[in-house]
This record gives sequence, C-alpha cells and structure tokens, in this order.
Amino acid sequence: MKHLLLKLEPLIWLLFGQGILLGTVLLTPWVLVVGLAIPLGIVPADALSYERATALGSHIIGRVILLGLIALPLWKGAHHMRHTLIDFGGAERDAWVAPLLYLLAALGSLLAVVAVVRI
Amino acid sequence: MSDGQQNKTFVVTRFDPDRDEVPRKQSYEVPVRSDWKVLDALNFIKDEIDATLSHRWSCRMAVCGSCGMMVNGEPRLTCKEALAQYGDTVEVAPLANFPVVRDLVVEADGFMEKLTSVKPWIIRAKERAVEEGTMRQSPAELEEFKQFSMCINCMLCYSACPVVANEPKFIGPAAIALGHRYSLDSRDEGAAERNAVFRGEGTVFSCSFANECSEVCPKNVDPAAAVNQAKLNAVIDWAAGFVLPRGGDE
Amino acid sequence: MSRSAHPRAMAASKPGSTRTAPPQLPDRFPFGGRYLAYTLFDLTGILYLLLGLSVLCAVWSLGSGEAVWNGALERHRSIFYLGFHGIALAALIFVGIRFFAFFPKAQPPRVGRVKPPPKPVILAALYGLWIGVTACMTIVLAGGIF
Repeated sequence: MKHLLLKLEPLIWLLFGQGILLGTVLLTPWVLVVGLAIPLGIVPADALSYERATALGSHIIGRVILLGLIALPLWKGAHHMRHTLIDFGGAERDAWVAPLLYLLAALGSLLAVVAVVRI
Repeated sequence: MSDGQQNKTFVVTRFDPDRDEVPRKQSYEVPVRSDWKVLDALNFIKDEIDATLSHRWSCRMAVCGSCGMMVNGEPRLTCKEALAQYGDTVEVAPLANFPVVRDLVVEADGFMEKLTSVKPWIIRAKERAVEEGTMRQSPAELEEFKQFSMCINCMLCYSACPVVANEPKFIGPAAIALGHRYSLDSRDEGAAERNAVFRGEGTVFSCSFANECSEVCPKNVDPAAAVNQAKLNAVIDWAAGFVLPRGGDE
Repeated sequence: MSRSAHPRAMAASKPGSTRTAPPQLPDRFPFGGRYLAYTLFDLTGILYLLLGLSVLCAVWSLGSGEAVWNGALERHRSIFYLGFHGIALAALIFVGIRFFAFFPKAQPPRVGRVKPPPKPVILAALYGLWIGVTACMTIVLAGGIF
C-alpha cells in the first residue's frame, strides 16, 4: 500500500495543487452567491430557480464547472487532512488513514460524475 | 557599569547521558557586554562558570554551520544572534527534532545520511576525459542554482520543519535543496536518478509548505522554494515517463 | 513547554555510542508564532472536504427534481449553513492569498528551455484569474446573464 501511495503521489499532488488553485477560484463565487447572497436575500432566490439552475447545470460548461467544484476541493481536503493528522503525531496511522482519505475523495469524484450527468 | 555590561540569566538545557534520566534546565547569571552574541555568553559560561557545558561552535561568523541551537524557542546560529535583542532571560536548548547527545550537542548522523542520499555531486552519463578540458558554464547557468548552493548545513531548517518532526524518513529541506542544486546545474546529467530518490521513501511530497525552513535559514537559501520546485520537476519527470519511457525505468 | 517529536525523528540508521535524549518538537508548534498560519492552512482541508460534499449534495438535489432542489435552497438559509459558508469564505480568501504568495517561488528556473514569467506577472495572472472567474460566475449565478 505504501509503495502504491508513493507511485501515485505525483498524481495526487497535481490534484491537490489544482484543488487549491482552481478549487479556490471556483468555490469563491459559489460560496458568495449560493452560500451567502441568495440565502441572505441579497440576490433574489429565483436567480437559481429550479428551471434556471437546471438550464445552467445541464450545459456542458456548467457540468464541467460543477464537476470541478465537487472533485477538486475533495482532493485538496483529503490531502491536507492527511498532512494535518501526520502533523499531530499520526505518522504510523498514515498507512491506513491516507488510503481512506483518498478513497473518500475518489468516491466523491465518481459521485460527482453521476451527479452532473443526472441534471 | 562600563562597556555597557549588564547581567542576563541564561536558562540552558543540560543533559549528561551518564547522569541524567532526562534533560534538565540549569540557570547561569552572565555579565554580558552590549556587543555580545549568544555564543559569547555560552563560551563565558564554559570558560568561567561551568566547564562541563558542551556545545558546538567554530567560525564565529555564520559560515560553518556548527553553532545552531534553539534560542528562546527559535532555531538560530548562536554566533549570529546579538544578545541585545533579547530580554533579561535567554533560554538556550539543543536543536528541536534531533536526538540529543549531550547538553546542546545534537546527533548529526541522521542529517549526514539524508544529505548523501540525494547524490550531491555532478553525475555525468559518461565521465569527461581530462584531455577534453574543463566544462564551461555561463553566469546565467550559474545563477539558476547558485542560491541553493549557499547552504552551510547548519540544520536550523530541520529544527523548524513540522514534517521532519513527524516523519522520520522525510529527506528534509537542506538535503532536497542540495539535490535540487545539482539537478539544476548545467553540468549535471543526474536529475532522473535524483528524482527517483525524491519520489522514494523520503519523498519530497511529504513537504506541506510550512515555509518555516526558509524563515529560519541564516543564508537565504530558501529551501522551501527548492523543495517545491523539486516536486514540480518530479511530476514533470513522472508525466514524461508515460510519453517517453526510459529503458530500465519502472 | 517542550513535547516529544517522533521518537525516530532525525535518527541515524545505526545507533551512536552513547544514549541520546529523544528529539523534541519545536517549542511553538503547532499553534504558536508562524506555525499558527501553517496549521490553520492545513486545517482548511476539513472545510474544503465539507464544501466539496456540500456542493455534491446540492448538485444531487438539482438532479432529483424541483421539490428536492427547493429543499436544498431552504437548507442553505439555516443559521448553520450560513455560518459554515461565512467561515468557508474566510478560509477561501486565506488559502488563496497564502498559496498565491508561495506560487512564484515554487516554479523552477527553467523547464527544458522554457523560463517561467517574472514574479509580478505570475501574481497578476493568478489574482486576475481569481477575480475574473469570481466576477463572471457571480454574475451568472446571480442571474445577471444567461
């Protein structure tokens, strides 16, 4: 397992790096609008009515962005959580913590594909 | 008082493996001069107060890398740090993250092993014959790696790094910076060999970019830059391996 | 107060000739001095995981019909979700600023024959991307266009 993790590390690091870069860039407007402006009434709720949201989300660009919005933060989160746990004395645990966290990110990414196709 | 003298209290970590179960602290009152560095006070303690104190030092001018210790909780070269910046009490302890041999002396063997592991020498595919003359390198080519060649192996970066503290196999800032220095050298042809080390058990990807190594480096080597550049180079090498498979590579 | 680092931290492959005292963590780790920013940066991982899962739930709701989608929008109005997204926004800004600050020095001096752009250009491109995408997506999500 350790050997497999070492082999996959460049890929995981790339996903993590994009998770920080693109994930942060994409999440900022999502959190601003969907997380705060619409719930607080600053933006009218019908901006993301079911019809409009479906129209946006079912466009190919919309599906790709939504995929990125789900998958990239998951990989960034999983990788950073792994490092946080190691920093708090978890080097020995890492053998099973790392695969668990990355599996969670992988599973979430797969579900993301299903989710965007379902729109 | 003349010469700007005053008394400062030095709380020094002591450890004698023959007498002490665990390290302990011992306080010394030292009449310090205003222009003294921390090392001057330690040498005064050894010369005038307590000859049993053990500490490493050599050049007194921040080039040999011998005198690294924790001063008020920060890894510092004791020959470089002026006492005037500290208050009435100064705490001196051995470098964090290292096994302690005695008092302020840490075991450096682990560090030496990590240094050697990155193959810190020019690697050529085929050794150049003496008759072919010297290799030529332009100032621009030198500039690409010069910063990373300024390391004095003082180990302060290892003391500051949270990954070194928690992952024993991690190669560490200075060693990765040194390996990267050689991979960037225009005379070197060993980048692939070093990338294999960088992706091995001591993997560069363990670095979580705390940047503490660069914060404490007394020579502005910026090892954090080297480590993260090495990550990118390792990824490029890995990706290129799919497009241009090397013979004998896995 | 000193605490122990990993017992094998910086250990050599062969033991020395005398007993050594175990390695100690740096005094200020993990929440003191500069380490605080680093630890918080690592801890944003939890927020990003939760954000990713939250967006997944929202998109899944969208694909489950109007009633479920409206339910998702309603949930976002709860004080819990609002608090979470408020903290998330702060975390996003913190991560972006810290990551962008480090990004230029993480570029090698040369990849093959290609040199990276100068630091001000890299920073301008990164912040330009962040602000530009945020502006465009905000306008689209808020109903400004399309």
